[in-house]
Amino acid sequence: MNTKIKVNNLDLWYGTFQALKNVNAAFNEKEITAIIGPSGCGKSTLLRTMNRMNDLIEGVRIEGKILVDYVNILDSKADLINLRKKVGMVFQRPNPFPLSIYENIAFGLRIHDSIKRDELDEAVKQALTQVALWDELKDKLNKSALNLSLEQRQRLCIARLVAVKPDVLLMDEPCSSLDPQATARIEELMRELKNRYTIIIVTHNMQQAARVSDDTGFMLLGELIEFAKTGDIFTKPKDKRTEDYITGRYG
Amino acid sequence: MRNPRRTEKIAFFFLFLATLLIVIPVGLIVVIIIQKGLPAINWQFLSDMPRQGMRSGGIFPAIVGTIYLVLGAIIFALPIGLLAAIYLSEYSKDNFLTRIIKLAIVNLAGVPSVVYGLFGLALFVVFFKFGASILSGALTLGIMILPIIITASREALESVPDSFREVSLSLGASKWQTIRHIVLPNAIPGILTGTILGLGRAAGETAPILFTVAAFYLPRLPKSIFDQVMALPYHLYVISTQVPNVDEKIRYGTALVLLALVLFMNLIAIIIRYQFRKRKKW
Ligand SMILES: Nc1ncnc2c1ncn2[C@@H]1O[C@H](COP(=O)(O)OP(=O)(O)OP(=O)(O)O)[C@@H](O)[C@H]1O
Ligand SMILES: [Mg+2]
Repeated sequence: MNTKIKVNNLDLWYGTFQALKNVNAAFNEKEITAIIGPSGCGKSTLLRTMNRMNDLIEGVRIEGKILVDYVNILDSKADLINLRKKVGMVFQRPNPFPLSIYENIAFGLRIHDSIKRDELDEAVKQALTQVALWDELKDKLNKSALNLSLEQRQRLCIARLVAVKPDVLLMDEPCSSLDPQATARIEELMRELKNRYTIIIVTHNMQQAARVSDDTGFMLLGELIEFAKTGDIFTKPKDKRTEDYITGRYG
Repeated sequence: MRNPRRTEKIAFFFLFLATLLIVIPVGLIVVIIIQKGLPAINWQFLSDMPRQGMRSGGIFPAIVGTIYLVLGAIIFALPIGLLAAIYLSEYSKDNFLTRIIKLAIVNLAGVPSVVYGLFGLALFVVFFKFGASILSGALTLGIMILPIIITASREALESVPDSFREVSLSLGASKWQTIRHIVLPNAIPGILTGTILGLGRAAGETAPILFTVAAFYLPRLPKSIFDQVMALPYHLYVISTQVPNVDEKIRYGTALVLLALVLFMNLIAIIIRYQFRKRKKW
């Protein structure tokens, strides 16, 4: 199994507050890795470091290395645009642009290439097909994306992302605003997407981690306490704190 | 004896009275201007040159002058104001210098217009030797409305949710692409509203054009931007105070045209804002 992303001795501070403490992990290509842990333990922070979205926050200081395809992306000379094209993000709240469904997906394509109209049409179709929205929405491509249901919106956000042909999908609690049925369908989608993409998902929901992921990392107070095969984490955790968390003794 | 219901009634009465005190004079002014000015309004009044030392004829050159000045001001102030607003809200770091600049801009909006007039006289008319001309007047008005445009544009840009910027950047868009394709389109209604309010202000002010462009009596149209022009607010001042025996009808007619112009612009701003509020869903 190839390692897609490798995190080495990662420390991160928001001002004087240390949010990540010596994190080490390896994320396998074309697998789903879940990151679980109580609120505020640094899950989103770790995720956002992998495509340098933390750069947007003033006063962030990072030490250590993150290798994506063996290139250190924390290097000050790293090409952010290509990094973010390669490592994309799905956010907690489904957040399509206030544009048409078509334009939402076309946006990412247009900013990266000058692309012809028929190629664009085809790429939009492919992206929507990948997230199983094409049949539902093919006649409404010019309608506003804001009129879609929450689940459709989140799928659209995933389509918008896969349209730019990333390798890695970072998902920060992608189902937290969805009902159980919609959540199950998005999980199904993730299992399909894993054939093409490396997926890292942050979730509060331990059943979800157990259902979809191959590997799981458990975080607590900025530390990655345990990182192993999902089956092992949930059946024979090595660390007492992991065990306490998965048996529900933490908040 | 304390009676809460009576206190409430008294408070209500005074609040109502205060509101009335504000609304009545404004309403009266509008009514009087319409009543006395409307009889003067006809096609000839709007399209003819002033005659007999402004005691008869129309106000066409003053209307044209005001339109030229307002357009000139906006051509100058909108691009600069918008760029400044983009810099301040999207690029500048939140440090001491930036905060001073933002504070200065807010305060500039409160500077009396006659100060802008003097500034325009010194800078454009005298120093740059543009003379009293459309160019000088439009630049002066432009500088006067810059703070309005910058402040409104900044507010419009800052009201675009950060999540849009985040998504756009996370898709690999550059900062400028994000601003150009995501932030600006969503801020345009707010920017337009601010711009039109600025236009209304530029159309109505006398002091900034007094020393920089306005002609006392010039019954022809300008040929270049280095010509002087008549302008509605100054023309109104002139026929009301400087020229004896001007028919009251003409004075109020001029006031009505100016008022209609400014109210019309404000109305457009209100409509745009309303449309935008209705559409906005995030
Ligand atoms: N911009 C910021 N400035 C300062 N501190 C921050 C910032 N963002 C997050 N933090 C802090 O860093 C810690 C980790 O935050 P993070 O959002 O990564 O947690 P999380 O595990 O994703 O939590 P949740 O499950 O609630 O989403 C928290 O204590 C949080 O208060
Ligand atoms: Mg989080």
